[in-house]
Amino acid sequence: MSGRFSAHGQVAIVGYAQSPVVRHADKTLGVLATETARQAIADAGLEVGQVDGFVSATLFPTAGAHAAEDGVSIVTPNWLAANLGVDPSYAAGFQGMGQITGSVSMAVNALASGAADYIVLHRALHNPPGRYHENPMTQAGGSQQWTVPQGYFGPLVMIALLYNEYVQRYGATREAMAQVVVEARKNGARLPWSYWHDRPLTAEEYLAAPLINDPICRFDCDIPVDGVAAFILTSAERARDLPHRPVYVAGYASGAPSRARLPLHWPLDDVQEVGAAMAQRLWASSGISPAEVDLPQVYDGFSPFVYLWMEALGLCGEGEAHRLVLDGGIDADRPGTLPVLSGGGALGNGRMHGIPQMLECYLQLSGRAGDRQRSASVGVACHSSPHFGGAVVYTSEPS
Amino acid sequence: MSELRRPVPVPDEASAPYWEAAARHRLALPRCSRCARLCLPPSSICPSCHSTEPDFSWEELEGRGQVRSWTVIRQSFLPGFADEVPFVLVDVELDVQEELRMIARLLDGPDAPLGVGSRVQLGFEDLPGGAAVPAFELEADS
Ligand SMILES: [Zn+2]
Repeated sequence: MSGRFSAHGQVAIVGYAQSPVVRHADKTLGVLATETARQAIADAGLEVGQVDGFVSATLFPTAGAHAAEDGVSIVTPNWLAANLGVDPSYAAGFQGMGQITGSVSMAVNALASGAADYIVLHRALHNPPGRYHENPMTQAGGSQQWTVPQGYFGPLVMIALLYNEYVQRYGATREAMAQVVVEARKNGARLPWSYWHDRPLTAEEYLAAPLINDPICRFDCDIPVDGVAAFILTSAERARDLPHRPVYVAGYASGAPSRARLPLHWPLDDVQEVGAAMAQRLWASSGISPAEVDLPQVYDGFSPFVYLWMEALGLCGEGEAHRLVLDGGIDADRPGTLPVLSGGGALGNGRMHGIPQMLECYLQLSGRAGDRQRSASVGVACHSSPHFGGAVVYTSEPS
Repeated sequence: MSELRRPVPVPDEASAPYWEAAARHRLALPRCSRCARLCLPPSSICPSCHSTEPDFSWEELEGRGQVRSWTVIRQSFLPGFADEVPFVLVDVELDVQEELRMIARLLDGPDAPLGVGSRVQLGFEDLPGGAAVPAFELEADS
């Protein structure tokens, strides 16, 4: 990759739909996805028959003993196309980390190359019956032999080690993290589709929660849900004829750690080093500088990622995010702050992966945020960790 | 009491020497014959020099190191650990090679004084059936 992305401003989001985010939907995930996709297509002013591209990521992010079944616990692009009655010219799934930003990059590439004209990008997330991560295994082979026999299991432990490294290095407190989670839940409480609609959290409630894997408590983790979101993407040229104001993709980047690690081991140095390189590629590809971003939407599936993304994007110095947060620096209701969780994030919506970040960028930059409307023209939507996931820069103007 | 037992490791061709050594309470790691670097977990390609013919030789090591991070597990998603909580997991950088990290239990318990840089040495937990899992203990004089 060198210099500005040649598809800069050439692809736009032109419509969307977001299902209610609930603990357990009263219909199958496949039905929810099909209905949500139809809604998004109609929202973009299109007919189902005009859509010729399908992109998604199907990771079922549970460590538990749950099967991934198409149409039930996951929904692949091909499944969705078939159930909408479309024979697509392009259908593909993203396999890496940063499922939402990675899916966007595939959709952009397909549209910019002419492989498809109108793409449905969807994400369907499922909360299976029973405990989400619980796994009754009594034997550990393959990659799990390096973690499971010593009780090192599931994503919380991975995040706990990473977060404690941050806490020890920079002196971050639970009081600061309480402000992160309170901010996410405050903004999520204002979203009619959110699982946490009308249910904000207080700092006292956060601080009273027992630790699960020190220093992580349950409020640091997004809650597993059933939910589907779909976006329609097309070329900037086609977007001009559609009803809503387009939101353009200026560039994207993803992280790619080269150092071999144990499974589930995300040391802080890796996150910072590889994350900084990812951010450099992001700014180079988009032709945007961090100072121009007025709508940063950081990933928060686990709350420590808020600090790590703020720092990776250069919104503050390394190790400084927790202090900025403690000083009210991410309060989206105060002028002059960094509204990094104005869309509620995953903590304020439910486990929708990077959808809340992308959706907030779309709603605000297209002027469709209703009474939450902010004045913003450059958004960044992040997903997963800065060193494994990625970010997309969105703009309200094509260049 | 949990009815499920703690998960035991299932060795494979690449990992058999590691678990065989562990059962004898020794730490063995593969060393690349091309670049002389150790790796964990064992791999078919050397993660340091990327040779596809690393001709690894297994070497027994002392297993001392320093704590880089830790967490106290108060709730486990593995039912087989229900009777073990709370327990401590430590992320340890081994002295023998920069950035060679192991994650294992700290046998001193959740109240042991811990900090970044705390010195630890290898210990082992015996599991039913003859397997043993590497763990760490705080060095006596640290
Ligand atoms: Zn080598």
